[in-house]
Amino acid sequence: MKLEVIKQRQLWWFVSSALILVSIIFMGISWQQIGTPLRPSLDFVGGTRLQLELDCSKPNNCDQPIDIAKVRDIMAAEGHGNSSIQILGQEQQALSIRTSPLSPDERGRLQAVLSEKIGAFDPAKTQIDTVGPIIGKQLFTSGLLALVVSFVGITVYLSLRFQLDYAVFAIVALFHDVLVTVGIFAILGVLFGTEVDSLFIVALLTIVGFSVNDTVVIYDRIRETIALKPDRHIDEVVDSAVNQTLSRSINTTLTVLLTLCSIYFFGGETLKNFALALIIGFTMGAYSSIFIASTLLALWRERTGQVYGTALPATSSAEGQMSASPSKEA
Amino acid sequence: MGRQRLLLGLILGLVAISLLVLLRLPTRLGLDLQGGSQLTILVKPTETVKQITERELEAVQRVIEGRVNGLGVSEPLVQTVGNNQILVQLPGVNDPQQAERVLGGTAQLDFRKQKVGTETQLQIENQLRQELLVKQAELRKTGDAKAIAENQAALKRSNEAIAALYERTDLTGKNLKDAFAEPANAANAWSVGLKFDTQGGESFAQLTKDLAGTGRTLGIFLDNELISSPVVGVEFAQTGITGGNAVITGRFTAEEANDLAIQLRGGALPVPVEVAENRTVGATLGLDSIQRSIYAALFGLALVLIYMLLYYRLPGLIADIALVFYAIFTLAAFNLLGVTLTLPGIAGFILSIGMAVDANVLIFERTREELRAGKTLYRSVEAGFYRAFSSILDSNVTTLIACGALFWLGAGLVRGFALTLALGVTISMFTAITCSRTLLLVALSFPELRKPEWFCPNLSSKTPSQAEEATP
Repeated sequence: MKLEVIKQRQLWWFVSSALILVSIIFMGISWQQIGTPLRPSLDFVGGTRLQLELDCSKPNNCDQPIDIAKVRDIMAAEGHGNSSIQILGQEQQALSIRTSPLSPDERGRLQAVLSEKIGAFDPAKTQIDTVGPIIGKQLFTSGLLALVVSFVGITVYLSLRFQLDYAVFAIVALFHDVLVTVGIFAILGVLFGTEVDSLFIVALLTIVGFSVNDTVVIYDRIRETIALKPDRHIDEVVDSAVNQTLSRSINTTLTVLLTLCSIYFFGGETLKNFALALIIGFTMGAYSSIFIASTLLALWRERTGQVYGTALPATSSAEGQMSASPSKEA
Repeated sequence: MGRQRLLLGLILGLVAISLLVLLRLPTRLGLDLQGGSQLTILVKPTETVKQITERELEAVQRVIEGRVNGLGVSEPLVQTVGNNQILVQLPGVNDPQQAERVLGGTAQLDFRKQKVGTETQLQIENQLRQELLVKQAELRKTGDAKAIAENQAALKRSNEAIAALYERTDLTGKNLKDAFAEPANAANAWSVGLKFDTQGGESFAQLTKDLAGTGRTLGIFLDNELISSPVVGVEFAQTGITGGNAVITGRFTAEEANDLAIQLRGGALPVPVEVAENRTVGATLGLDSIQRSIYAALFGLALVLIYMLLYYRLPGLIADIALVFYAIFTLAAFNLLGVTLTLPGIAGFILSIGMAVDANVLIFERTREELRAGKTLYRSVEAGFYRAFSSILDSNVTTLIACGALFWLGAGLVRGFALTLALGVTISMFTAITCSRTLLLVALSFPELRKPEWFCPNLSSKTPSQAEEATP
């Protein structure tokens, strides 16, 4: 298999622009509907989530599935009419309720009323999450700050490691990956009500740390080829660098995707969206390294008249390490 | 080859030690896996206390610790987070309602007067309480939840009985301006100094005047629990202790004096505390999560092992062995460093399995290229390791930067993920480079394994045969 990324670059740029445009449109739709580009979970806005499951060891307790209408009536009667209610589990015997933040007494009363009218719940299967608005805001800002800090850290590292234009395009590719991941979750949020929690920010950070790797490897190869054969056209160099590193890019992403799919299918509800975000982000990471970061660099070099690599500065610190001089034993 | 043999021995030794660590040291599970309640308590500033400083947070923490101990939970954990939060972990608590009610609310410190004629009774009750406290400390070590709860109920009755021997006065924590440990005159003894405001000083003088020389004690109660019961010397019978300053002497060690002073300060603080976050996971759900994580980890590992073997053949097999070593080392490191495994932490570990082979992929791709370029097997392998190194370093550094940002700025669960992923990435540098290189070179020392087609399929005929030069 040989990819001609330079020849088809208009196509890839179009695909990426379209993806980003759709992402932004859906973030806008989400903004229209709920005032935020993504649907925030209670981690960020505060609230109480109660997950209860009927205790089936008690006689006649699990005879019929939980009736959502009945739960809704109870919630309305208790003054929590605007809460979202979900029935979970194969046998429909579990219940998930999300409300505004409840005080311990309010929550206790609600639990008591629910178990009186629906059936006894198993305390060992109960999950309670209450996040006050202050903590929520704090989780959000610290998450965002972590994202910014790691972007800055990686930019600094790449600028030290490569020339500036390499670093800039690697960051552009990274933005692309994060933006598309966020966009897909905006779409999921608008269509299916998928929420983003603190694990989503963790996922974005992991994407930032991981997907820049593919780009770095391809750029490393481009630099190595330019140093070896300065008389080759940049388009040729980029094409062959992409192809030489292609199976590496695919294999690395594939092994990680294998473990992520395993988490997605077997890891349980909490980790499902987390794994999904990583799957999207890593796939985008591989795609953008191969098709976007490489072709943008070629375009930039063409536009700035650096088509041939004679002007390669020998100052880059890693050059000595990476130069393709024959190995010592030869 | 001697050096490789030595390294191989070292690696196998490490594997053995790691297995031993895994068997001997327990894995610490987070509350989301073992079930329990995690509460974040927010300390709020008020008109009088505008800024929560470290000293104040410490005092509030001590108050919270007192309340947590009153809950009778085995192995609770109380620690400060940031500059205005206290994190409380209550393993095994499914219904945190009682805990939330007890832990929220401003501390109540007050000074009480012992009732007339209760001297012997107080002595007996105090004796009983001491015994219960000692027993509780022992029970905590065993972790027997039921016995702890029973003993706690007895303690509660004892506390109530003691409280019944005192009558309230109008002197409360509001009137206490400061409390501090100070060295007493006697050698090695410490005492606790108290400072009251004007109104408190007057009340305190009256209170001590009433009690001086009677042998009855002044009871200092924090959240209705007696924390100190000094007697007042007969020399104060005329005026009481005036001037708003007092000293509690006793045979305190520096530590005991400091602890009492912190409790007093905590009780004197008018800062309200509020349970701002509650994450409770039922024990069965936790167990469920553990099981699912084990499936996910095993399945993920198996997929990667099979893929590597199919794609990279002999080197793939070597990478697989290195990957299994990696899993063993990393899990052992978690136990050794006392990392608390949470659900996101396990996700980080599983993810790192996929990432750990990245280095091997880079190396083997390079090796294949060198082989296709017509180099000999041994030299191709060497060049693969040599040339892939800088790319490997880059990828790990960028991941570590992201982990660092997460660990530094993230909270609770998020930090667990950052820690396990960062540990994994670091250990993978060792296993994917040193371990797989050693194993591969050892494998190459067997002539029957030196088959280029086991390294790279579809090698064209111009490839030099397996006629290797003598390996160094």
